[in-house]
Amino acid sequence: MVGPTASLTPLSRADGSASYQCPSTGSNILGSVNAPIELPGRRDALRPEDATVEVFVKPGTAPGGVGERYVEGIIKNMLTKLILGREKGYARRGVVITLAIVGGESVGRGDSYLTLLPALLHTALLALLSASVPLSMTFSATVLAVDASGKITREPSPKEAATATSLHVFAFSSNGHLLLSESQGPFEFKTWENVHQRALAICHGTLARSSDGDVAMAEDVDGQPLEGALREVVEDKIHLDYAWKIDAP
Amino acid sequence: MVSPLILLPGDEIPSEYLPSTNSAPLRLGAGLRLLSQPSSNPSTPPSHVISATQSALLSTDTKRNAVSLLSTPNRRYIPTPGDLVIAQIHHSSPDYFHCMVTPQAPQAMLGQLSFEGATKKTRPMLKQGDLVYARVLSIGLGAGAEVELTCVNPATGRAEPGGLGPLTGGMVFDVSTGLAARLIKASSSSAEQQDGVAGLVVLDELGKKLEKAGGFEIAVGRNGKVWVDCANGGDSAIKATVAIGRCLSTIDEHELSPTDQRKLVTRILREMKIES
Amino acid sequence: MAPAAAAAAQPAPPSLSLPPSQFARLQPHAYLLAHLSPPPSSNQPSIRANGRAPSQFRVTSANTGSLTHTNGSAVVRLGDTTAVCGVRAEILHTEDIASWSVSRPTPASSSPTGNKRRKLTDSTAKLSAESENKEEDGDDESQIQDFSLLVPNLSLSTGCAPGFIPGAPPSALAQSLSHQILTLLHSTRLVRAEDLRIWYQPPNLGPEELERHNENEQMDVDAPQGEVDLEKNKEIKAFWVLYIDIMIISLAGNPFDAAWAAVLAALRDTKLARAWWDVDNEMVVCSDAVSEARKLSLRGLPISSTFCVFEADAASGWRAVVIPDAEEEKELDDSTRKGIQRRWVLADPDGYEEGLSQERICVVVDKEQDGKGKTVIMKLEKNGGWAVDTKELKTLVDISAQRWEDLKQILEQC
Repeated sequence: MVGPTASLTPLSRADGSASYQCPSTGSNILGSVNAPIELPGRRDALRPEDATVEVFVKPGTAPGGVGERYVEGIIKNMLTKLILGREKGYARRGVVITLAIVGGESVGRGDSYLTLLPALLHTALLALLSASVPLSMTFSATVLAVDASGKITREPSPKEAATATSLHVFAFSSNGHLLLSESQGPFEFKTWENVHQRALAICHGTLARSSDGDVAMAEDVDGQPLEGALREVVEDKIHLDYAWKIDAP
Repeated sequence: MVSPLILLPGDEIPSEYLPSTNSAPLRLGAGLRLLSQPSSNPSTPPSHVISATQSALLSTDTKRNAVSLLSTPNRRYIPTPGDLVIAQIHHSSPDYFHCMVTPQAPQAMLGQLSFEGATKKTRPMLKQGDLVYARVLSIGLGAGAEVELTCVNPATGRAEPGGLGPLTGGMVFDVSTGLAARLIKASSSSAEQQDGVAGLVVLDELGKKLEKAGGFEIAVGRNGKVWVDCANGGDSAIKATVAIGRCLSTIDEHELSPTDQRKLVTRILREMKIES
Repeated sequence: MAPAAAAAAQPAPPSLSLPPSQFARLQPHAYLLAHLSPPPSSNQPSIRANGRAPSQFRVTSANTGSLTHTNGSAVVRLGDTTAVCGVRAEILHTEDIASWSVSRPTPASSSPTGNKRRKLTDSTAKLSAESENKEEDGDDESQIQDFSLLVPNLSLSTGCAPGFIPGAPPSALAQSLSHQILTLLHSTRLVRAEDLRIWYQPPNLGPEELERHNENEQMDVDAPQGEVDLEKNKEIKAFWVLYIDIMIISLAGNPFDAAWAAVLAALRDTKLARAWWDVDNEMVVCSDAVSEARKLSLRGLPISSTFCVFEADAASGWRAVVIPDAEEEKELDDSTRKGIQRRWVLADPDGYEEGLSQERICVVVDKEQDGKGKTVIMKLEKNGGWAVDTKELKTLVDISAQRWEDLKQILEQC
């Protein structure tokens, strides 16, 4: 299993940015975050004590459509819960997240965005970290496909996703909460529970709560948990930035 | 010394990383939050943990009993009261000079009389494009608030620390905010360390090498601006100024060790044909 | 309602007391919380500000066929949220599809054999939907998506709720809902591609076939087994494209459930005229006989239910408290049953409740898929918080299954 590759702060002008490639789904996302910024006069600021989060998804390989509005809504709803918009300097200001799909299979009209969603979420998270936007916790996300025979494929390629019976996206917080679950296609709740277990193993690796041997094996197949992979990306970048301090005698 | 600790949002700081002296209150820097742990037993007082909200390197200062986070160094400058900045006059109105601190942010206000010894008659007549070395006085509250600068310490009426006020001559170089902060740290502590403070020896090295050429004046603004002037340099003044700028921007782009910094200074001075 | 009663009981302390409607506006969170957690002494059940129990849906009514100029239409009311849906069918010639000739080899090579198979079974089982269900799976259905044969568009009409001003571009909410309906139409495969195809049956030059010219439809049904060869020459000449326009004329929360129920009811009501390819005129001809028009045969009856989570602590996102991790959360949950409840999952939230909650859950279930009466989830969506985990989702799926029964009755009666 080839893990995702990511880099922090590839763009110098934005407050924070990140690029993220997931080899198995083929997605390649470039994200930037500007925060805190002054929003143009908004009289309709709904919550004056909080920051306004805005998410823009720009398809780079296909014409834009209504699908982006939908996925923007999901990402925004999830991140708003994690961003500490009441910290000093953030209230009534904006956190603007722009995610550009720069490579990989494009999403056509009426197609689901589910295969791209984990990559978009990870890019947004890394860009927020790069912009030092205060967050209450981090998260990791994955997408799984279930085919007609009940086989679970982790991070399916667009072709695999097209033939799958159901697609499931999960995001877990660093504390193990289920932050997001998006599933489509006919499935039963039992299937969902299995996929949920597998997704938790992919994201966290720890299997404290599952006692059966089956899932423990899956952990080996999945290699390094995503949570750790993302943490490593961030730690490497900080090591690089503060080499003068860390390496100092 | 404990190994460096890198935190991600939501991570708690282990107690062994906190300064151990309990006499003074612990100071928390930006990006850290004191969270209360709701205890299941209502009779015991809730315990507290300190958790990070940003991905950053933890830095502790035992002398000041402070703990803070070193986050992404090269981000956009956001004014904080007390910061020294280099601002450029954009235009003036009867009471204020309107200055640019960063191109992204709205203009900051600098009172016409907030200079050392300024009265209505003696205030400096600054034109568009002039530079001032100023301190951030206040940043206001809420969205759309105005940032106010000053060139005097309001308590004493003096330009403290020395050098606040209009910058004449010289040249301004843009550096990253991270390097600017390191330069300020390096110049504010006078300790004669072999490896310099904050891993920077470039200014000391330049100072030594350019002593013969008349030395130079430097002002570093937190907003990522460095002003350099070699007023006494005579013929080589411009060359020396450009050489300093080149040294700084090279260090900004590449992470250089103190030895490499010394080599860089020598190489650039040789290339620019400045005798040292 | 408790505050209403309290206000009535105290006739005239004017300075400090507020009528409930003003309290609701000034302190919306406290108002809803007061309803949901009545003091234990009052012995009142936990009830929402709108008088419903937490898992109770609003009164739903549906009406079909009210728009005469559409092929199918429906009005669905979910409390004060009203959605109108009209289905308009238009003909799309295969010549006008740019990718048709390119992609044609695939359907052409697969469809004759597919049809052959179908014919063989049809001759015994006739056109029963159930038998077709298995035969028609697979590639054929991709035509709906490839050629965009279903075009839903949702608009939130001016004045449906405060803040919708005339002349504004489609809001992000409207665009997002349009997309959700389209994705759900595709992923549930509700409409059969076969219903949308307009065929051309070349006449068999055999003398006895001449008289059957232009009676394709009849021939489709009655073709004896010996004429199976004919099917090889059958050709798709055009498609019906269904323009599904949804208008939310009144928005009081939960637009998706209302919109989807309206789409479902309108599609159940949709009738397509009999159409065939006329070789002489080289055009598609439709029959104007109402008796010849046929209804769409939909796959299953997916029904959506939306929930939101109301947190007791309004400032939970701000308060400097350690967020318990998932394990601790479970223990806390068990302890809450005895003591104070911290959060409520509210079914079919109205606009007031939507404004006070962040976490949303949407479940689309179907019990008719495969005809086994089992609850099949077509879509499960939750985001915006961490209150709902596996256990809660299981309960919500059960509630949605119950809701399916209720809504099925409503849709069948209309």
